Amino acid sequence: MSPTGAAPGRAQSRRTLRRLLSARNVVVAAATALALLLPLFGSNFFVEFVMTRTMILGIAAATIVFLAAYGGMVSLAQYLLAGVAGFMVGNAVVAQDAWSKGLKLGWNPWVAVLFALAVTTAVAFVLGALASRTTGIYFLMITLTYAVIGYYVFGSITPLSGFGGITGIDPPGLFEDHPQRMYLALVVLSVLVYVAFRVLAVTPFGLALQGIRDDPVRMASLGFNVSLHRTLAFTLAGFTAGLAGVFNVWWNGQIDPTSISIGPTLDLLIVAVIGGTLSLEGAWLGAFVFVAANNYLRNLPLVDHIGITEARFNTIVGVLVLLIMILSPDGLAGIIDRIRLGLRRLVQLSRGSGAGPPEAAAGSAP
Amino acid sequence: MNTDAATAASAERSGSLLNLEAVVVAFGGLQALGGVDLEVWKGDRLALLGPNGAGKTTLFNVIAGDIKPTSGRVIIKGIDCTELPARFRPRLGVARTYQKTRLFRGLTVEDNLYLAQTGRSGRHLALLRSGVDAEFRERARAMAETVWLADVVGVTAGDLSHGQQRQLEIGMALVTGPEFVMLDEPASGLSRGERERLVQLLLSLDVDITLLLIEHDMDVALRAAQRVMVMNEGETVASGTPDEIRVDPLVHAIYLGSEAGLRGADP
Ligand SMILES: Nc1ncnc2c1ncn2[C@@H]1O[C@H](COP(=O)(O)OP(=O)(O)OP(=O)(O)O)[C@@H](O)[C@H]1O
Ligand SMILES: [Mg+2]
Repeated sequence: MSPTGAAPGRAQSRRTLRRLLSARNVVVAAATALALLLPLFGSNFFVEFVMTRTMILGIAAATIVFLAAYGGMVSLAQYLLAGVAGFMVGNAVVAQDAWSKGLKLGWNPWVAVLFALAVTTAVAFVLGALASRTTGIYFLMITLTYAVIGYYVFGSITPLSGFGGITGIDPPGLFEDHPQRMYLALVVLSVLVYVAFRVLAVTPFGLALQGIRDDPVRMASLGFNVSLHRTLAFTLAGFTAGLAGVFNVWWNGQIDPTSISIGPTLDLLIVAVIGGTLSLEGAWLGAFVFVAANNYLRNLPLVDHIGITEARFNTIVGVLVLLIMILSPDGLAGIIDRIRLGLRRLVQLSRGSGAGPPEAAAGSAP
Repeated sequence: MNTDAATAASAERSGSLLNLEAVVVAFGGLQALGGVDLEVWKGDRLALLGPNGAGKTTLFNVIAGDIKPTSGRVIIKGIDCTELPARFRPRLGVARTYQKTRLFRGLTVEDNLYLAQTGRSGRHLALLRSGVDAEFRERARAMAETVWLADVVGVTAGDLSHGQQRQLEIGMALVTGPEFVMLDEPASGLSRGERERLVQLLLSLDVDITLLLIEHDMDVALRAAQRVMVMNEGETVASGTPDEIRVDPLVHAIYLGSEAGLRGADP
């Protein structure tokens, strides 16, 4: 055929390279490098509190984004699932003779992690199977119900949750008294989760999931088991939320039913919305903004003067979310995307070149 | 089980692919189908005509399993499919298009055509790509060419023009390698030239492929089909060869005055 068809292998690998070096990937890689180097110059507080919390919330929020962007399912059960993992770790690791509550099984912390992830995955599978026949607002409502029920279940089964929660939960020796190591592990885990979700999007499984997002009826008539597929995606997201939950309980050292109540559940949704529910990067971006606002906005000098107390802090966050949503339904990631496109158009204009290629891909694939 | 196998065997022998027995569909008080019987043979080219609201799409939905009939039976290749959900149809070689396009609007043309094939094979749960995958990709690109979308294989389906979306809709049915294709108004919204191309495509289909076609454009329908069935208010009112239907007084009565509307002026 055409002469260029002679070396398809080379052309292909060059195309692959170009795709890998997209602006998006370069920015993500730079951010990762910065995050890994942060302990060298960041303050202890910033690394061990702000950024560690950012990574935990980022991973948990990424599971919301994954389900929403690829599966068209907005789940409010992700914080509950993280909490399930946290409670399992708490019950499993606290020693029999410790001054604490819960089952106090006193297991090896790594065995406890496997146990917690297994339980969380199983719970996610069951919850996912029950919710998988619904979509849109109904799916949201069902998962909200899960979150509420989960809160009451842990609140009422006190042998599992203690009265005031389980305290004194130590991370494994690897991380105990090494908060910077925990932070670095979370950065690595974040990268793994991010890459895994993005790679998943182009596997047969991931493509089918996006097909289900776009048109479940068509998918069924093509022979797909739509609800099984949704269930499996939800299970995978649940497992990943469980990973975040394990680190969360290590970081907090304790867990109680209030920590998985409706407040934190909505906080996680807010994180996803701030970042943009259609962009994976947005999960971590949203988490950072949320945690930073939480830690720093409270200390601003004007806070005392105009009488913004702890209780009214939520109003500020609410206004922030509202502003972002009005400016861009796709959150901060959407705003950044638009700025990027605007800049490119400016560059094109200044170069005097007329119409560039249409941005067909922009905003279509997460 | 035994009788089922016997029915299947006899269906195979007589070449009967689809049997509808007294199919009734009621939406609340409205009876969309009032006891339709239909037999389709292997290799049949059957066009379904009828005014708006006649129940043509509802009949498709029943055959494809998208809705369950209120009463009656749907038998495909001798297997009673009345209670089987839609997702078991592709294994029987059934493929359909939708009157209102149902595409994966966030995916590219190639991915749409690729996904259409994976459902039947069970490959969609796979996390790794394999040799079969490359084959599917190749077939997806070939089908894009067949339905005149070769130069937009990388474009997101939601960004295609209306006509291109109609073409992709047809491609997604054909790419599954079906034995029995149901097309719901494939020519609607296409230009005159595109309609002509479509007729040629339908005529070029393998002779073994069975075709059931809903089409308001009489010209397309009567040229592509060997047999015509006319429906009105949920009932079959006439059937015969295209030539017979062309001169059938009853058909004229039903279409009288709306002939112009039937030619292309679609919503
Ligand atoms: N899901 C539904 N719920 C309620 N009524 C329905 C539903 N689907 C179809 N109908 C009604 O059933 C009747 C038959 O509709 P159908 O779509 O089968 O007609 P059609 O022959 O395909 O018409 P058209 O040429 O306009 O596509 C119509 O009166 C329609 O309003
Ligand atoms: Mg119709």
